[in-house]
Amino acid sequence: MRKSRTVALAVIAAAFCLTIDDATAGNWPGWRGPLGTGVTVETGIVGTWSGDDNVLWKSPLPGMGISNPIVWNGRVVVTASDGYRLSNLHIICLSLKDGRKLWHQRLWGTRPTRHHGSKSSMASPAPVTDGRHVFAFFGTGDLFCIELRSGDLVWQRSLAAEYGAIENRFAASSSPLLHRDKLLLQCDHYGDSYLLALDKATGKNAWKVERPERWLSWASPLLVPLGDEKFELVVSGSHQLEAFDPDTGKKLWTVDGMSRECIPTPLYAHGLIYAVSGPKGPTLAIKPGGRGNVTESHVVWRNTRGAPFVPSAILVGDFYYLIDDQGIGTCLNAHTGERVWQKRFAGKYTASPIAADGRIYFVNEAGLTTVIQADASNYVELARNDVAEAVFASPSIAQRRLFIRTSRHLFCIGTAKPKR
Amino acid sequence: MSASSFACASGLNSWGPDLSSSQTSRHKNLRFVLVSYHAPSLFLQMHGCTIGAGPPIYVDEVYAVKRVLAIVLSAIVFASSASISSAASNSVEDDIKTVLAVGPGGAGSADARIARDRLAEGGVKQLPRLLAAMDTDNPVAANWFRTAFEQIVRREEARPQPQLPISYFKSFARDPKRQGKVRRLLLDLLDQHDPDFRSKLILTLLNDPEFRGDAITETLKRGDAARKQGDDKQATLLFRAAFGSARDSSQVIAAAGKLKAVGEEVDIISHMGFVIDWHLLGPFDAPGKTGFELSFPPEKSIDFTAVYDGKANANIRWKRYQTADRLGQVNLATAIAPVKEAVGYAYSEVNSPRDQQVELRCGADDNITIWLNGKKVFSRLQWLNGIRLDRFSARVTLKKGRNTLLLKICQGPQHKNPAVPNNWSMQLRFCNAAGAGVGITNALK
Repeated sequence: MRKSRTVALAVIAAAFCLTIDDATAGNWPGWRGPLGTGVTVETGIVGTWSGDDNVLWKSPLPGMGISNPIVWNGRVVVTASDGYRLSNLHIICLSLKDGRKLWHQRLWGTRPTRHHGSKSSMASPAPVTDGRHVFAFFGTGDLFCIELRSGDLVWQRSLAAEYGAIENRFAASSSPLLHRDKLLLQCDHYGDSYLLALDKATGKNAWKVERPERWLSWASPLLVPLGDEKFELVVSGSHQLEAFDPDTGKKLWTVDGMSRECIPTPLYAHGLIYAVSGPKGPTLAIKPGGRGNVTESHVVWRNTRGAPFVPSAILVGDFYYLIDDQGIGTCLNAHTGERVWQKRFAGKYTASPIAADGRIYFVNEAGLTTVIQADASNYVELARNDVAEAVFASPSIAQRRLFIRTSRHLFCIGTAKPKR
Repeated sequence: MSASSFACASGLNSWGPDLSSSQTSRHKNLRFVLVSYHAPSLFLQMHGCTIGAGPPIYVDEVYAVKRVLAIVLSAIVFASSASISSAASNSVEDDIKTVLAVGPGGAGSADARIARDRLAEGGVKQLPRLLAAMDTDNPVAANWFRTAFEQIVRREEARPQPQLPISYFKSFARDPKRQGKVRRLLLDLLDQHDPDFRSKLILTLLNDPEFRGDAITETLKRGDAARKQGDDKQATLLFRAAFGSARDSSQVIAAAGKLKAVGEEVDIISHMGFVIDWHLLGPFDAPGKTGFELSFPPEKSIDFTAVYDGKANANIRWKRYQTADRLGQVNLATAIAPVKEAVGYAYSEVNSPRDQQVELRCGADDNITIWLNGKKVFSRLQWLNGIRLDRFSARVTLKKGRNTLLLKICQGPQHKNPAVPNNWSMQLRFCNAAGAGVGITNALK
C-alpha cells in the first residue's frame, strides 16, 4: 500500500515538479534526478556489482569533478576540471551504450577559486539538460549552454567577470535548475551572493536577486509545485530557508533556523518541503505557500538528529533518510520527524543517496555502496557492492543502469540484458 | 569560330592547361574574364587581337600576343587570387570582430556562433591569427576562439603528417606579454610534439607573470635535490632565487623555510610589504550592524593621549601593538577585546622610499574602511566577511617619506549559532602588481 502510494506521489511530482514530458522517462537530467528528489521510478537495476562484475563499461575521466553524471536517452554527460588552478573545464558526452566519447568540449574558466583537495573542484555543480541543451555551471563562475547532440557551444556567461569571482572555501557546488524557459541559479558565497534566472535560449538575465545577508553555501535550489501551474523556488542559505517566485524573483516567505553554511539540497514530498543543514543542524519539514516569516506558522516538525553537513537527504514513502558525513544513517518518520532507526554505515560520505525500485543506494568515499530496502520501518540491508575507487560524486540511475563516478572513472553498472 | 580566334587561342596552349578542347567555351570564358578587366581588353585590341568574333589577327604577331596574354593572364590570376585572399582575410577579420563583440548577459552569442563555425573551417594557417585573437581580456570571446582553434588542431592532428606551426607555438608560449591561459594551452599541446620543451622553458621563467609559480616549484625541487646530494651551497643559491621571485604566500613561506634550514634567515614581512606596527583603539559601541555607518573621534583626529568613551562605558585609549603573525594578520579579538557589535581603529605610519603608485591589499573580518594620508581609499560593507590574504585591493599613491594610515574595522553581532566564534581581525600590505613589497618601512616611533 505504502509502495503504491510512493509511486503515485512520485509520478505526480514528476508531472508537476520539473515540467518533464514523456521524453524524460528513464532519464536523469540533472542534480537529484528527474523528480528533484534523488528518487526515480526506474526499475530493473542490478542488485550486485564490483569493480569488474556487472560493469557494462567504465570510461576514464580527465581531471577532477564531483558533479554527478546526467543521462538523456543515449547520452551521458559529465563535467570535470584540470590544469593550472583547475581552470581548464571539460564537458564530456559519452555513449550510454558503450561509454565511447561522443564529444568533448574544453573551455577556460574565468576565475578559479579555492577548493577542497580531493572532495571538490571547479566541476562540483551538476549540469542539467532539457534534452536539447546541456547547461553546465562551474566554480570558476562560468555558465555554458552546449548542444547535447553536437557539443557545440551556444552561449556562455562569465558570471565571475560580470558579478565578481565566486569566493568559496570549497568551490561552488550549487547546481542549476530548469524551469520552463528559465535557468535558475543560486550563488551564495563570501562575496556578493545572488539568485539568478536566465533565459535558457539566450543566456540573458530574466531577473537577479541580491542576497547581502547570505554567505557561503553550497545547496542547490528546489522547485515546489503549488498547483494551478504555480511554483515556489526554495533556496537553503545562511540561517534561513527562503522561497521566491521563480518567474519574477519576488521573495515570498522565510523560515529561520538553518545553519550558517548549508550544503544539502531541500526536497519536496507529501506536500512538505524537507530541508536539512548540518553538521548537528536542524532538519525541518515546512508547509509551502506562506508569506513573510513563517517560522512559527509553517514549520510542521523539527529534528536535530543525524543532520549531514554534505550529503543531501532522501525521502521514500513515509520515511526520510539522512546519512551524515561520518556514516551515521538516520531514518525519520516523514510525517512526524520522529526517529525510526539509526545505524552506522561503513566509511565516510560525501555523495548523496539515491533510490529506485524499492532500494536506496548509499555510496561511501571508498566506493562501497550499501543498498538498503526503501520504505521499510526497520533497517534491511540488501547488498554491499564495492568499485574500489574513491567516490565523492553522487550516483545517477537511468535507462536501467546505475552510474557511479569515481575519482578516475565513470562506471556504468547493469546487466547486458537489464531486468524488467 | 574564326581562324584568328583559334590562332589566338592555340597560342595559349603552351602556357597552361590543355585548352585545345572545348575551345568555344574557353573563348567564352576568356571573353568573360577580359570583359571584367577593361585594361587588358583594351591592350589586346590595340594589338589587333580580339577574342571571339572580330577582325583577323596577323600570324607573325602570335608570339607577341602569347607573351602579352601570359602577362595579362598572370595579372588576372594574381588579381583574382589577391582579391579572393583579401576577401577571405576580410571575412576572417570580420568573424574575429564578431566574436570579440560578445559581451555580458550572453549578448552577441548567436552571431559569435556563426562566426566561430566559419573560423573553425579554416586551415592551420589560420591558427596564429586565432591565437592572437584568444589573447583577449574577454573571457567569453576567448572560449569561442578556443573551440575553433582546437577543432582545427584536432583535424590537423588526425592527418597522416600534421603540419602544425610548432615553432610559432613555441614562440607564443615563451612570450610573457601573452595571456597566460593561452600560453598554457600551447604548452599542453607542445607536450605531445616536443615533450622536453616545457621543462626546459619553465626553469627560465622565474619572473614570468604566468609561470613564476611553476618555475619556483621546480627551483625548490632542484634545491632539495642539491641538498640531498650534500651540496648546500648550490641549494642555498636555488632557495634564494626561489624566495626572491616568490609572490604567492605559500611559496614565500616554503622558500623561507628551506633557507632557514640551510642557515639563512629572510624577512617575509618586508618581502611581501605587510604593515605590522600599529596603534589600536577600541572597542567603540556599535549596536547590531550600525558600525559601518557610525563615525568615532579617530576619523576626525588622531590623539594618542586622549581617553574615549568605549563600549559598556569603559574608558579606552590607543595602545601600541606589533603583530607577530608571519603574514601580518592582527587578531583584534585578542589585541583589543573579544567583543561583538563594536568598532575598532588601527593607525600606522609608513615610510616610502619614493613617490609611487602601489597596490594596497587588505582583508578584514568583518568590514573595513581605510584612509591613507587622510583620504578614504577603500571601504567595504559586508558582514559575515572572512579574512583572507589579499581579498581586497585598491590602487593608491604613496608619497616619498611618511604616509599615515587609519583603518576602521567593524565587528558584527554574534552568529545565531553560539558555537560559531566571532572573528575580528585585519591584515594589510603595500605591494606592486605582482605582489612584491615596495620598500616601505615602519615610521611609527
